[in-house]
Amino acid sequence: MMGSLVYRHKRVTRITHWVNALALLILFMSGLQIFNAYPALHWGHKAEPDEAFFSIYASDETGVIKGYTQLFGWRVETTGFLGVQESDLGPFPRAFPSWLTIPGYFWLAGGRRWHFFFAWIFVLNGLLYFAYSLARGHLRQYFFTPRDTRRLLPMVLYYLRLRRESPQEGDYNPLQKLAYTGVFFFFTPLIILSGFAMSPQLNVAFNWLPAMFGGRQSARAFHFILTFLFFLFTFGHIIMVATTGIINNMRSMVTGWYAVKATSPEPEPAPPQPEAAPPEPAPEATETIPEAKIEAAPSSPQREEPSHEEK
Amino acid sequence: MKKNSPGISRRKILLGALNGTGLLLLSGCENIFNRLHQNQSMLTVLESVEGLNRRFLRLLTGRNKLAQEFSEKDISRYFKPNGNPPPFTMEYVLDATNGWPFWRLQVAGMVKQPVDLSLQDLRAMPARTQITRHDCVEGWSAIAKWKGVPLTEISRRVEPEASARYVVFYCMDTDARGSHYYESVDLHDANHPQTILAYEMNDQPLPIEHGAPLRLRVETQLGYKMAKYIHRIEYVASVKEIGSGRGGYWEDQGYEWYAGI
Repeated sequence: MMGSLVYRHKRVTRITHWVNALALLILFMSGLQIFNAYPALHWGHKAEPDEAFFSIYASDETGVIKGYTQLFGWRVETTGFLGVQESDLGPFPRAFPSWLTIPGYFWLAGGRRWHFFFAWIFVLNGLLYFAYSLARGHLRQYFFTPRDTRRLLPMVLYYLRLRRESPQEGDYNPLQKLAYTGVFFFFTPLIILSGFAMSPQLNVAFNWLPAMFGGRQSARAFHFILTFLFFLFTFGHIIMVATTGIINNMRSMVTGWYAVKATSPEPEPAPPQPEAAPPEPAPEATETIPEAKIEAAPSSPQREEPSHEEK
Repeated sequence: MKKNSPGISRRKILLGALNGTGLLLLSGCENIFNRLHQNQSMLTVLESVEGLNRRFLRLLTGRNKLAQEFSEKDISRYFKPNGNPPPFTMEYVLDATNGWPFWRLQVAGMVKQPVDLSLQDLRAMPARTQITRHDCVEGWSAIAKWKGVPLTEISRRVEPEASARYVVFYCMDTDARGSHYYESVDLHDANHPQTILAYEMNDQPLPIEHGAPLRLRVETQLGYKMAKYIHRIEYVASVKEIGSGRGGYWEDQGYEWYAGI
């Protein structure tokens, strides 16, 4: 690998990132354990058994036990994954399989212990990160503002290779800004509030809390659906990390140092290109470079080091 | 990146590998988390937030704020009777079929005036009716109308001593191994205006499967706190000496004593 290394992620960012990753993983897996205790979702305040809009269940059909997943009027057989799990002792009913839950056996009390402990970690770690990025001016760089709206479509076109130049200004492109702002400032408060809305203690005094979701069972459904939006976001994030130089990306989130191409030190001050550019755009390559200096030090625009750390 | 923009095949391999390690990671996690969960000091760490939850949530809600009350039309068609089967002893069945002539609620412990109350005595006391939502720890909710004696009325009658901190409810039902159900609340919840000893559900005498003749309603907490088939109440300074010392049947098996979340 050639090029120079830039200090891309500060220590606080790196630590809170990994704490957050661990907390999300545990919240996800212990949440599925909790869901398994009653693997159905309802709308409103109460759960009439025949009114579940989503459920995972096992059904004994002529001596063969099969797993099903139902959503409104649709039903698919999911034996082996959802509803019924295979084991050394034969198939047994279980909504989410044991390898997706904490603990890996049926124990609601245990799942709740993990979930509530890491809920505190998730919230406190998140608050620390926000306080830090706010103070460092980092938050401003990726906060989606109405100004970014008109750059959204050009960015999509650029990704679809229907447009040559990226409409990006600054360190983050408008799609990134939208994703981060949406997840951090919309989905995160919603998933926390929908969790709170399930608390009987908070139902005392805060009657509006379950009501804002349409009832306590709806809040539970929101919590579950939001979980899978988080899962999709994380999945997309991991795919991006893996496909845009996994070693370099991982190094920058572990050590802070990220390699940029020495031959093109700065992507921004590209010469004012005429509209008819030469026909060798290779957009794949320029895609990742603008993200290189996500955390430029405030004093010097970019702390660049000569490529002494090459492997 | 410019030098090696990944081709389709390479990307596919990468994704395949990622998927593989993902699954491997998760099944590895299963073992790690199971081992951690069996580790007593890890459990102690995890359980440490229970007190934090209690203090934080009670701080947010304050005292004597009411849980949401619903209207008649919100009442559930089906209300799952969870927990142990009813205590079908000869004594219980005979008493139930004759309108509870022998059943008494014994209230004792650290109180100045211990009492024994019949169902008639309880029905003669001031009553509260509320249509509230029952939230099970499993995740489901059901709405019903409850009528009963506020626990504060019982406290007024028996006059707890200043050192009494918990109210313990002893039940007639047992699990498959013969352990009796019991529960406890502290004075914060015992004194909540919606905490009642219910003898009626949906305008009918409390059904057998819902804890006849008397069950607890604590609207600030989850369903497992609301003991059914109660026959004795005790005011105590500590729950350490009762059962396995964690304050309730499910608590003794690892569930939180504070079930406000």
